[in-house]
Amino acid sequence: MAPTLPEKKRKAREPEPESDDEFANVVFDGVLSQSGDEFDDLSDEEDKEDDDDDESGNEGSESDEEEEDALLSDDIPSDVDGEEEIRKLLKNVEIEIDEPGVDPKREEEDPDKNYTVETDANGNERYVYEEIDPVYDSDDSDAQGPVNTIGDIPLSFYDTYPHIGYDINGKKIMRPAAGDALQNLLDSIEIPKGWTGLTDVNTGNPLNLTQEELELVRRVQMGLSTDDLHDPYPEMVEYFTSKEEKMPLSAAPEPKRRFLPSKHEAKQVMKLVRAIREGRILPYKPPEEREREEQEKEEVHFDLWQNEEAQEPNPMHIPAPKLPPPGYDMSYNPPAEYLPSKEEREAWEALDPEEREKDYLPQKYGALRKVPAWDTLVNDRFERCMDLYLAPRVRKNRLNIDPNSLLPKLPSPSELKPFPTVAQTIFRGHDGRVRSVAIDPTGLAVASGGDDGTVRVWELLTGRQVWSVKLSSDEAVNAVRWRPSKDSFILAAATGEDIFLMVPTFASVTPTLDQASRDMLSAGFGYATSGQKQAAPAGKEPPAKWARPGTKLEDEGVLIRITVRSTVKVISWHRRGDHFTTVSPSGQRSSVAIHTLSKHLTQIPFRKLSGLAQTAAFHPSRPLFFVATQRTIRCYDLQKLELIKVIQPGAKWISSFDIHPGGDNLIAGSYDKRLLWHDLDLSNRPYKTMRFHGEAIRTVRFHKGGLPLFADASDDGTLQIFHGKVPSDQLENPTIVPVKILKGHKVVSKLGVLDMDWHPKEPWCVSAGADGTIRLWM
Amino acid sequence: MAKIRRRGQTGQAKNYVTRSQAVKKLQISLPDFRKLCIWKGIYPREPRNKRKVTKSVTASTTFYYTKDIQYLLHEPLLAKFREQKVLEKKISKALGRGDNSDAARWERNAARPEATGKPRYTLNHVIRERYPTFIDAVRDLDDCLSMLFLFANLPSTSAVPAKMIARCERLCLEFQHYLIVSNNLRKSFLSIKGIYYQANIQGEDVLWLVPYKFNQRIVGDVDFRIMGTFVEFYMTLLSFVNYRLFTSIGIKYPPKFDQLKDEQGAELGAFSLEGVNIATDGDEMKAITNGESQHGPDPKVQAAVDKIVKQLKADNAKGEKSTEVAEAADEEEGEQASDSIDKFEPVAPGGDVLPQPTQGSGNVSQLFDKFTVYLSRETPRQPLEFLLRAFGCRRIGWDSVLGEGSFTADESDPSITHQIVDRPVVQAVNGTEDNGEDNQTSQKIAQNQRYPGRIYVQPQWVWDCVNNEELESPELYAPGAGLPPHLSPFVKTANGQYDPTLPLDAQETEAEALDSKMEDDAENANDEEQEQSDEDVANDMDVDSANDDESEVSEVDAEEFGGVSDDDVEEDEEEAAILQRQREVEAELSGKSVKSKSADAKTKSKLEQKKVLEKKAREEAEDLERAKGMLSKKKRKLFEQMQYSNKKKSTEDTMLRAKRRKLEKEQKKARATLA
Repeated sequence: MAPTLPEKKRKAREPEPESDDEFANVVFDGVLSQSGDEFDDLSDEEDKEDDDDDESGNEGSESDEEEEDALLSDDIPSDVDGEEEIRKLLKNVEIEIDEPGVDPKREEEDPDKNYTVETDANGNERYVYEEIDPVYDSDDSDAQGPVNTIGDIPLSFYDTYPHIGYDINGKKIMRPAAGDALQNLLDSIEIPKGWTGLTDVNTGNPLNLTQEELELVRRVQMGLSTDDLHDPYPEMVEYFTSKEEKMPLSAAPEPKRRFLPSKHEAKQVMKLVRAIREGRILPYKPPEEREREEQEKEEVHFDLWQNEEAQEPNPMHIPAPKLPPPGYDMSYNPPAEYLPSKEEREAWEALDPEEREKDYLPQKYGALRKVPAWDTLVNDRFERCMDLYLAPRVRKNRLNIDPNSLLPKLPSPSELKPFPTVAQTIFRGHDGRVRSVAIDPTGLAVASGGDDGTVRVWELLTGRQVWSVKLSSDEAVNAVRWRPSKDSFILAAATGEDIFLMVPTFASVTPTLDQASRDMLSAGFGYATSGQKQAAPAGKEPPAKWARPGTKLEDEGVLIRITVRSTVKVISWHRRGDHFTTVSPSGQRSSVAIHTLSKHLTQIPFRKLSGLAQTAAFHPSRPLFFVATQRTIRCYDLQKLELIKVIQPGAKWISSFDIHPGGDNLIAGSYDKRLLWHDLDLSNRPYKTMRFHGEAIRTVRFHKGGLPLFADASDDGTLQIFHGKVPSDQLENPTIVPVKILKGHKVVSKLGVLDMDWHPKEPWCVSAGADGTIRLWM
Repeated sequence: MAKIRRRGQTGQAKNYVTRSQAVKKLQISLPDFRKLCIWKGIYPREPRNKRKVTKSVTASTTFYYTKDIQYLLHEPLLAKFREQKVLEKKISKALGRGDNSDAARWERNAARPEATGKPRYTLNHVIRERYPTFIDAVRDLDDCLSMLFLFANLPSTSAVPAKMIARCERLCLEFQHYLIVSNNLRKSFLSIKGIYYQANIQGEDVLWLVPYKFNQRIVGDVDFRIMGTFVEFYMTLLSFVNYRLFTSIGIKYPPKFDQLKDEQGAELGAFSLEGVNIATDGDEMKAITNGESQHGPDPKVQAAVDKIVKQLKADNAKGEKSTEVAEAADEEEGEQASDSIDKFEPVAPGGDVLPQPTQGSGNVSQLFDKFTVYLSRETPRQPLEFLLRAFGCRRIGWDSVLGEGSFTADESDPSITHQIVDRPVVQAVNGTEDNGEDNQTSQKIAQNQRYPGRIYVQPQWVWDCVNNEELESPELYAPGAGLPPHLSPFVKTANGQYDPTLPLDAQETEAEALDSKMEDDAENANDEEQEQSDEDVANDMDVDSANDDESEVSEVDAEEFGGVSDDDVEEDEEEAAILQRQREVEAELSGKSVKSKSADAKTKSKLEQKKVLEKKAREEAEDLERAKGMLSKKKRKLFEQMQYSNKKKSTEDTMLRAKRRKLEKEQKKARATLA
């Protein structure tokens, strides 16, 4: 409508308005007739106004009427002759704007005018509308006006007639008023430039508007943009020509691919098809439905373990330990004794939560309804979760055994008895340490040697000294040993490099025994002289010199002196009493010597020894010879002259060893405080290691008279008595039971008990202490 | 020339990786790694020597097996995590660009388990891997159940979506249904932390903890993301376990779930079980539902009908009757062909006796079979309902406050045989109704609204019956009565451990018994003396004080008797002498001389006994010392360790015994004074 408007305005002045699409289907009869009248009644102002009112009323909308009234009353208070024209103009504009709303109103106002109600054949009401009379002189744009039927003859023929031809009905078409006349009339009225017919409210002068201002007003009224430059309908620029070229620019023939289905598209389509088939693309569904479906899909239930097969658990996998079940004290109503006392409660509360042994205090609620929620349940669960995934698991072998089963089955104490328990007798007399002690084979006398250079013989039970001899004034007696047979009464003692063989004489020794012993000792002299004669030409120095010690000593009973090359520390007799061995640890090559009593012969069995020899002994029943160096004990066969085995107790410095009378077991003591039991058949490693002493062990000794006892003497001033039973059955292990610690000796300058010996039959033993005493334990 | 070996390239260093190395290797974020570890059951290991394992200077704390991490590399979940990560990146990029529609589209695909409670992946294969057989899964069910039951009772927050909670609740209820039908629940225990249940599923004992129905307080640092990861796994696990369990007893899984009933708080009653095959359908239904609602196939219709039924008592009674008939039929069938174990009796002598499982679970499972139980509104309905159902009770009613699904909401229903109450007794004006008989005939007590002909018990009665596998006498558990202690059924008392169920005399050591006797005697003597002195006209304050002194002295004695050393004995003797002297003095004061002598003789003999005991103990200790001497160092240490824990236990036990002795004495005294 907007673009047509300027033309409309112009046409309002013209008698024949041009047709417009917009008004094509609207009936304009009233308006047009009115417009016809207007030209006639231009002069008559009042009438005109009334008419206008009527017309607007006729035409319909009350709102229009009001608007117009408002417009007329406000804007055009006083009418001037020429102003009718402008009002007309404005009015036309109004009417044209409001045209679409007209139709229904008019029908309301005169419903009975244009139709009649009849009854049709069926008896129903029928509205018969009047025939619309198309007024041909209207300025209806659609109706082409009266069609002149005069044909192709010049119109000048009708110049003399008032009509110009005939219409389709044969009626005369009257000649319209000549344009010139109207034009002349309009031209005759002169309107000053910019005249609006309005008065400036402020000044009272007539309001003159320029053409631009008028245009602006019009645009505002139309609701258009005030800017004239804006073109809402620019000319279309074609991207492609709409005209088909007769001659295309390229003469290339249409390629084949234009006629083939696209492979790429096929691919794309296939991709989609595949996606649809696989369910990746789903048809659209509203979100709620989708959600529901998803939920259904999620709850797929099936037997996960349908074809289960047990697997070997991974050995490295450690299943999480279960939480311990609740105990009595976790009950909501525990027995009263489980409730904490006040102190316990305070102690628990005072502790840090992490240090508490239990994370709860037992509590009693009288009834179930009083039990509150557990505060830290969520935390507990959380802790458990943390433990499950964050705690390193270590398999700890919990020994689910009775601790008492670890303890060895010990024989009952009654079975262990007898063993020495108390110090029965104390032998005093030695000046300084007592280095060595020995009980004679009959079990009546005790011989001892000490730092004072004397050898003393005591009566065992009474403790009375019965015999004594001073062998050396400056050197200590290092060892005393009785010859182990009852047909003689011979004592061997070592001081420095000398070994003395003597026959103590005192009351209890019968003269026959005494004589037999003396004979035995002197028997060798004859042999020795002849033997030595033979050995002399070899040009070597003999390993030992057998001689008589001198008359003074011979009177005392000391009959033979054997001088070897270095200080003798240990003497050990063969079971038959014909041989004895001496060990002098500092003696290098000749440290171990074997002496033959009957031949007055000394032999050095080892040309070379690895390590320093500490002690040596003969096997109690077989022709074997044991030599202990610092670390090992070597066992030699005396007949075959070969090394049989090397026993390694594992001690750093062996001090002494002893062989079980049965011959298959051996105990060794060491300066590093260890007592080692060896089963010779089992292994060359110790069967048991006992470390009960606080200081070095000096001597170890088995009981030789049939009692399953052995003992050791240590520098801590104690003797320890063990029950060591070697079963007759080879398969069983020996049982070793510590039975008694004998305390009594004093420790003097870090030396305690230096030597000990068992009674040949009774469970008694004697010990020689660094405190100068000898004690008999029984 | 030998190859140069660099540190950290052979041996232990190759076997372990630190956590950060593992994360780097898997190319995932730390939270994702954590998830993966939790689901796959991979946990850190403790290397023997940490220094040898670490390649870096700084000490790492967490080590994993390299093999474990390699195993994770093949995990399909890893790909899912990566996809998810890519998607997240896409979304954030699209949002950055302003492509909201794209972002929305991708957002739809993105898993938001924290919001929706369901991820894009399933953990089925992980469960199959971790538990190759069903029994493996059952073995690991403890934590699963405890966790899910806890979450079922949690309030929903942003960290714990409501859907997750609902799912947990549903799974738990389904599991409970299985236990009810299969009669596999064995024990239950009311602890201060919650209620423990123990079930035996295919020979495996499963123990779990259910919190009391309160709002759970969450204090301290609790990372719900970690818990959520566990719950996700456990939910999947339990749903499969439930499926298997349900199908194993011939019930369709999932059971029909009635949303309407659930909203009304029916809990267990919201489910209706169906047999897998139609033939067994009816039986199954019977086993689970209340007597009244068993014939209705449609729960909705049933719910409507229920209301009417409740109004009409006659209908009710009829329904019951019919169920009873059905039950009877069931029982007969059970007798004809039972799955139970037969008893093997030796026919000829000389064979070994094999241990046989005790018959009895069959009877126990029908413990509450004959009862109609009504729960008062102050009792915890859920555990009671579950427990009663699991042990054969079919007709349980409760107040409508406690939710939907009860057999009857009317307290005055005449069919009720037992009512469980947990409220204090409001004493009637002239009523002493601690007595059970009184309970049953207590019409006169108006305030407590007792109905005649029904047994009133406290909730603990149910638990004790279940644990002892027999019906306890309800008098002990009458409302307002002091309840007997509730004991844990899970404790297996080892030999020599303190057992509160046994009388004190049966378990105290000789020395303790002697001690207590002596104390008793001393006190008795005191009492006697006191009585006498009361009678005596020449009663003085001095005497009283002397008596007090004496009792103190005797107490001191008792304490010292605990020792074993020689010195103690001597001291004891001295003390005894002093005591005697004191007595003589007292006797003089109070003017009587005969009694003290006899008492002295008694105490003397006791003292001698004591000495003998002590000597024995000393000898034993010595023997032990000797035997210990024979052990190797390693074994000795082990032995001492064992002794340590044993000693701790035994001291605890002695403390408990002492406490109990004291309590019993006090009780006796109180009784005596009352009498």
